Amino acid sequence: MMYDFIIVGAGITGAMIARTLSKYDVSVLVLEKENDVGNHATLANSAIIHSGHDPKHGTLKARFCVEGNRLYDTLEKELKIPLLRSGGLLLSRNAAEVDTLKAIYENAKLNNVPGMKLLEKQALKAKEPNISKTVIMGLDLPTTKITYPWEVALKAMENAINNGVFFAKNTEVFAMAKTENGFDITTNNGVFKSKQIINAAGAFAGKVAAMVENHVPYEVKPRRGEYLVLDRRVKGFLNHTLYPVPNNKGKGTLIVPQVHGNILIGPTNTPQSSLYATPNDVDALSSIKENADKLMTDIPYHQVIRTFAGVRASIDHEDFYIDYSREVDGFMHVAGIDSPGLTAAPAIAEYVVNSLIKSKTTLDPKPNFNPNEPECTMYHALNTAEKKAAFATNKRYGKIICKCERITEGDLMQHITRTLGADTIKGMKKRARVGSGLCQGGYCEHETIKVLAKASNKDQTEIDYYDKDTPVLLKETKVKL
Amino acid sequence: MKKHDIVIIGGGAGGLAAAQGASAPHLDVLLLEKDARLGGILNQCIHTGFGLQHYKEELTGPEYAQRAIRELEGLPITIKTNTTVIAIEKTTDFTITYTNESEGETTIRATACILTTGSFERTRGAIKLPGTRPKGIITAGSAQRYLNIDGYLVGKNIFILGSGDIGLIMARRLTLEGAQVLGVAEILPHASGLTRNIVQCLHDYDIPLYLSHTVTDIRGAGQLRGITISEVDANFQKKPHTEKHFEVDTLMLSVGLIPDITAFNGLSFAKDNRTNGALVNQTFETSLEGLFAAGNALHIHDLVDDVSAESLLAGKHAKAYLENKNQKAASHIDVLVDEHINYCLPQRIQCTQDTDPITFSLRVKAKHEKATLKIMQGDKVLMTRKRQHLAPAEMERITFKNVDRLDDQTPLSLKLEVS
Ligand SMILES: Cc1cc2nc3c(=O)[nH]c(=O)nc-3n(C[C@H](O)[C@H](O)[C@H](O)COP(=O)(O)OP(=O)(O)OC[C@H]3O[C@@H](n4cnc5c(N)ncnc54)[C@H](O)[C@@H]3O)c2cc1C
Ligand SMILES: Cc1cc2nc3c(=O)[nH]c(=O)nc-3n(C[C@H](O)[C@H](O)[C@H](O)COP(=O)(O)OP(=O)(O)OC[C@H]3O[C@@H](n4cnc5c(N)ncnc54)[C@H](O)[C@@H]3O)c2cc1C
Repeated sequence: MMYDFIIVGAGITGAMIARTLSKYDVSVLVLEKENDVGNHATLANSAIIHSGHDPKHGTLKARFCVEGNRLYDTLEKELKIPLLRSGGLLLSRNAAEVDTLKAIYENAKLNNVPGMKLLEKQALKAKEPNISKTVIMGLDLPTTKITYPWEVALKAMENAINNGVFFAKNTEVFAMAKTENGFDITTNNGVFKSKQIINAAGAFAGKVAAMVENHVPYEVKPRRGEYLVLDRRVKGFLNHTLYPVPNNKGKGTLIVPQVHGNILIGPTNTPQSSLYATPNDVDALSSIKENADKLMTDIPYHQVIRTFAGVRASIDHEDFYIDYSREVDGFMHVAGIDSPGLTAAPAIAEYVVNSLIKSKTTLDPKPNFNPNEPECTMYHALNTAEKKAAFATNKRYGKIICKCERITEGDLMQHITRTLGADTIKGMKKRARVGSGLCQGGYCEHETIKVLAKASNKDQTEIDYYDKDTPVLLKETKVKL
Repeated sequence: MKKHDIVIIGGGAGGLAAAQGASAPHLDVLLLEKDARLGGILNQCIHTGFGLQHYKEELTGPEYAQRAIRELEGLPITIKTNTTVIAIEKTTDFTITYTNESEGETTIRATACILTTGSFERTRGAIKLPGTRPKGIITAGSAQRYLNIDGYLVGKNIFILGSGDIGLIMARRLTLEGAQVLGVAEILPHASGLTRNIVQCLHDYDIPLYLSHTVTDIRGAGQLRGITISEVDANFQKKPHTEKHFEVDTLMLSVGLIPDITAFNGLSFAKDNRTNGALVNQTFETSLEGLFAAGNALHIHDLVDDVSAESLLAGKHAKAYLENKNQKAASHIDVLVDEHINYCLPQRIQCTQDTDPITFSLRVKAKHEKATLKIMQGDKVLMTRKRQHLAPAEMERITFKNVDRLDDQTPLSLKLEVS
């Protein structure tokens, strides 16, 4: 079969483009090398829907950030994604920082960021009681929001699939060849044919582009960002996303509330050569604390439950690189999607489809496109009557698997049988938060393995933790009690 | 809403003994346990070494659990297994919400409540290990559960971080199952597990113990490939050029247990930041009236015998609380410790007519040979005990009998004189 479009990569960018294309009568296939959507940058980031205050006016980043921020309100309704309207505060601590802050304010006005206000010490303290005494002025950025980015990618991909898009996971693109009327795309799962290719491979975009282009117009320069995660029991300590004024090394260390109640502190910004490995280093983690202490007092570091790191797909241009190839007809770059890529993704997808693709291809709207996805509420979030009804249909809602997050076996089943169901422990953790609490899986991992194995008729040793070939259980032993 | 006199949450060694202590013909006692069977962590400890004090016999964990369960036979106690408590609130009495597959979410009331929910293991995140985050890093208790209850091995080449008892016991167990245990690293200059476990689980199997060492790198993307350990100085800073590399598929963490009081977020009671559990008086009552705590949910125990002894008392006191509900204690005095002692329970003493002896459970901060423990009020020495050997890994218990000599104004202090 010859597809009209093949999208390489099912991060938030690829998933959003797939969903937007699914509004039209075209055939689309998304190829993803990992065993799930969004396992790279889309999984490990700050989760902020930025207001658009800091990207330089006139860039694609500025335009798509402000536009994307607005589009999230629609996504919330259609895809039922979580959105926390925390607002943001950009904070300055001395005269020089106040100057930078005011310059950003001017830039943000040009970008059309709505609702901003300069705030003095007193007003800041009222909004954010644990703010550091050294902060003297802030910029209120009320449109700043928080989401759960990985779920946005999942829901967008599921919605695309439900509207006719094909999705192949565990399928890595190795090579591409231009043919007379399109491309042959070689993967570990065979060769696929497509008229056009959209490269949404994140940090791997340079590698993918080099499969067809002799001169890739950008170079990927990955940068690592590391974080500390505080347990959700710290809820209430922080209300807004706190930004320091940026320095020459990027946005700086942020303090960010999360939709599930946790607090993220980070990221660092360290160049690295690998597109993959994301080790945490001890010095970086202590520098995070040092920086965060400049914004807030008495941060409850004893509540740290986890550290993690993500890789930014930065390139040697300041802006995103989104355009058709100048070299190869029908090949499109959606590259350099570092921050604010998450915020921008829905706007990028609109631009890719409505401006770039429509400039050369006629797209006919699909009359039966359904933009909506069902709510996927966890049992503990239902009201009493709903709980009764759910339990009456399935007794497994009565059995707790994850004590820390109050997740029942019924919830796990719901996440196994959905459009893009979980088949690994990590896949379950991302969908249902199993093992995200204080015990980090110590209590519930063995139960999760059993539920996954039973649902898929597999042996427990066949259940992977994360990637392919990472089973938790190696082999059965002689003794069994 | 159904109303009970005493509800015990968690049916491990602690909950079983608490139920035994609390039980009385005229009282409605309910024991709730999350797992399918009673016994808690004992069920996965198939080694021997349990019960020497409590049953005067050396038993395995499951045998100890069976004994404790049998003691409840014939007592008027309602037991619900496969039942998890998910919330507790306190108004005049306790409102407890539990769930199971036969009743669904159910809310009940109770006059008194005993927390015997055990502990959870400290994880990688809590100790902030550097390096990549592949699969293959597992806590020792989880590996023990997979091996002893589910019947699966988690790896072939294993390194253990932390010299806690569970890790030591697993080093032996995994070796016997055919895995290679390449070593155990401990950041402190001394082991944190019991001496008998160091000898019987490491020395006897030629497994090296690296004291003053910690993991300084972890390698591998999807799957763990290797780790590096380095020596640390007195401030736990890594010493350069002391790296040792190991190719392993599993890094097992035995870096401590933390009392599990997560289900009780809806209750406000005073906590002790040294034990990470509740602050209690000599009746094991927390600062919230009618709420008792015992076993690993209160503070971490090395020996199950101590868990049973303590929990039995907690149960008895809960029963007494129901019987004399209207007699309120006049005052409290605090129990203070000096710089050599890490923590001591109870943290406060309720001054009543009651002259029952008080058993103090304490842990020292460092190892001492020959030391003297003193219980004092002001300058007055109330009791002196000599000890030949004290170590942080071994909980010390001393019983104070002359409760009638206490004055109810002055804090009690525990002092350790070391030579
Ligand atoms: C530390 C950090 C913090 C951030 N914070 C924010 C924030 O707060 N707000 C915000 O707006 N943005 C933020 N960002 C940016 C945002 O996370 C990214 O811009 C966004 O996730 C990029 O999505 P993507 O789909 O382009 O890339 P990815 O999510 O990386 O997806 C690319 C996908 O392509 C797949 N792929 C690659 N090569 C191949 C191949 N050969 N064959 C098949 N599949 C392939 C990959 O497996 C991957 O799934 C942050 C980024 C980082 C790293
Ligand atoms: C691996 C290991 C090895 C040990 N080896 C020895 C040894 O050799 N000798 C020795 O004397 N001692 C040993 N000990 C110590 C001793 O066994 C334990 O301290 C003791 O068994 C703990 O009892 P507990 O009741 O406090 O906790 P647990 O046994 O952990 O019981 C707690 C119970 O509460 C339940 N629970 C928790 N939350 C809820 C909830 N919300 N609702 C309902 N139920 C809940 C749990 O399912 C569990 O059954 C060992 C301990 C461990 C962990």
